[in-house]
Amino acid sequence: MKLLGAVYRKEMIDGLRDRRSLLSSFFFPFLAPLFIYGLMTLMIEQNTKKETIELPVIGAEHAPALIQHLVENGIAITPFTEDAEQAIRDKTVDLVLEIPADYQASMAAFELTRVGMIHDGSRNDTRATVSRVRQLIRNYSNELNALRLISRGISPRLIQGVQPKNEDIASEEQRAANLLNYIPIYVLMAAFVCGLGLAIDTTAGERERRSLEPLLINPVPRLMLIFGKWLAASTLSAVGMFITLMLCLWTMLALPLDELGLRFSLEHSQIPLLVLAILPVPLLACSLQLLLGLFAKSFKDAQSYIGILVIIPVLPSLVLQFYPVTTSLWMYLIPILGQSLMIKEILGAEPVAVSAYFLSLISTLAASVSICFIAARLLNQERVIQG
Amino acid sequence: MIEVSGLRKSFGDVTALKSVSFSAQNAKVTGLLGPNGAGKSTSLRVLYGLIKPDIGWAKIDGLDVSLERLKAQARLGVLPDGHGLYARLTAREHMAFFGRLHGISPDVLEQRSDELIRMLDMQTIADRRTEGFSQGERMKVCLARALIHSPDNIVLDEPTNGLDVMTTRKVRELINELKQLGLCVLFSSHIMHEVSRLCDEIVIIAEGQVVAQGVPDAIRESAGEDNLEDAFVILSERAARL
Repeated sequence: MKLLGAVYRKEMIDGLRDRRSLLSSFFFPFLAPLFIYGLMTLMIEQNTKKETIELPVIGAEHAPALIQHLVENGIAITPFTEDAEQAIRDKTVDLVLEIPADYQASMAAFELTRVGMIHDGSRNDTRATVSRVRQLIRNYSNELNALRLISRGISPRLIQGVQPKNEDIASEEQRAANLLNYIPIYVLMAAFVCGLGLAIDTTAGERERRSLEPLLINPVPRLMLIFGKWLAASTLSAVGMFITLMLCLWTMLALPLDELGLRFSLEHSQIPLLVLAILPVPLLACSLQLLLGLFAKSFKDAQSYIGILVIIPVLPSLVLQFYPVTTSLWMYLIPILGQSLMIKEILGAEPVAVSAYFLSLISTLAASVSICFIAARLLNQERVIQG
Repeated sequence: MIEVSGLRKSFGDVTALKSVSFSAQNAKVTGLLGPNGAGKSTSLRVLYGLIKPDIGWAKIDGLDVSLERLKAQARLGVLPDGHGLYARLTAREHMAFFGRLHGISPDVLEQRSDELIRMLDMQTIADRRTEGFSQGERMKVCLARALIHSPDNIVLDEPTNGLDVMTTRKVRELINELKQLGLCVLFSSHIMHEVSRLCDEIVIIAEGQVVAQGVPDAIRESAGEDNLEDAFVILSERAARL
């Protein structure tokens, strides 16, 4: 125990003094929430943006009722007299509505009355405007049709046929949780990023600096050395992970999500549950990193191997997105997958079974400790000691 | 006391040690002499418990390194061939860390650190991080690291390699001091005059086997040469021919 303390203490001092590596590791926890904030603000902006569309109209005076309908729906009408096609080609306007001079006469005769929508279909940025105006005109036409039928004593229902009805059974929290898919990714990724520097430095780095042999000469069981290094790296990893978690949650609370029709609420009692759910992740991440660090031929080698590990937290979310399967208990047995599910469920205010916590905690811990045992065995191999 | 018997070690197809046996007594300085690649470092690595021999054993104070590694290691102080210091730790922190690894209690550790700082003349560098230390300063930290647990046996792998005259002298003085204290000192070198001046006993290794062991005079005699350097060359070449 004393030996473990000695190794842990030395690794922590050494790790915390490595400012450069520490800085690059702890860049991530602060970057992730910033990213969420930027992304979500953008989404909210786009969803709530109902800016008035300015619509140049030729012959507006011929169809006062239609114009009235458009104005009521937030369209600003401007009279237009120039060459419409040329103006669109020059991109001075996005869309021109042309109302024919015989509009009134055609309507009165119940003939098919066309209004022209002149636009450039190859332009992506005007598509939203065009479809909105088109929809408004369609609505106007539907209303008109209904009135015409009613005046003849026919129910407008008669011409409606089949219509889809939208029923979303997801609660507002659940929809928000879907949206929160990347919180587990960021939080778990932080666990893989923040202990990485120390994990490499203390394995591949230790060998490359030739301090591994002087260390192994001491009367310390190899497993104790691994455990000390493992716990030190895991400490940094856990600190980074919890900073990321807290900053992400705080960001979510600060965002005006209700404008998206979503609700994100966080009870104080949820935080300990989240902490409990993800607690073993740093241990797993760092045990893997130590193992690869010892396995690698050089420091550079280790960096590239361990860099690949960072995608592990993305995998469960990715797989679940493409193969949405019902959650069953065995999934909690798979490290990282279990924690991803639990974060989503806790944030989505869904109940998580006690056995789920238990299974994921035990399986992740067991995996981590086993990996440490393998690493300690590697440390007994001459090939690994000498590099 | 350090004893090594019948060590044989192969790395793949390369046989690094064919058969190495020697011993180093307490209160004596034993020199392990041999050309580069003769098997000096490999023999010593077996002794530290870093590599396991295919055949043979190494004992420290009668404790077999392969069977009772931790007990044997506890009785050994080592200056390995690479310095391997931690750049971000101070000299004193190095002593503290390695002292704790040997299970020394905090107050003994502090006392011993101060003693070594005085003995190795490192008052000015004790609380500085080892990053940027000169070769000589590094060597002092390594020696302090090796001696922190007051071992009865000390192994120095090419201790004067790359040192300036002043530090080399200091190291030689230290080796003599350790001998006076009754320690078993084993050091490897390929510098002839250093070995002949310092050692009570010489072990010559060439081509993975011991070609001669004895007091310097006996070695000269067995090669039929007055000069130790010539004796060394003759014995090494004789081994190569076999």
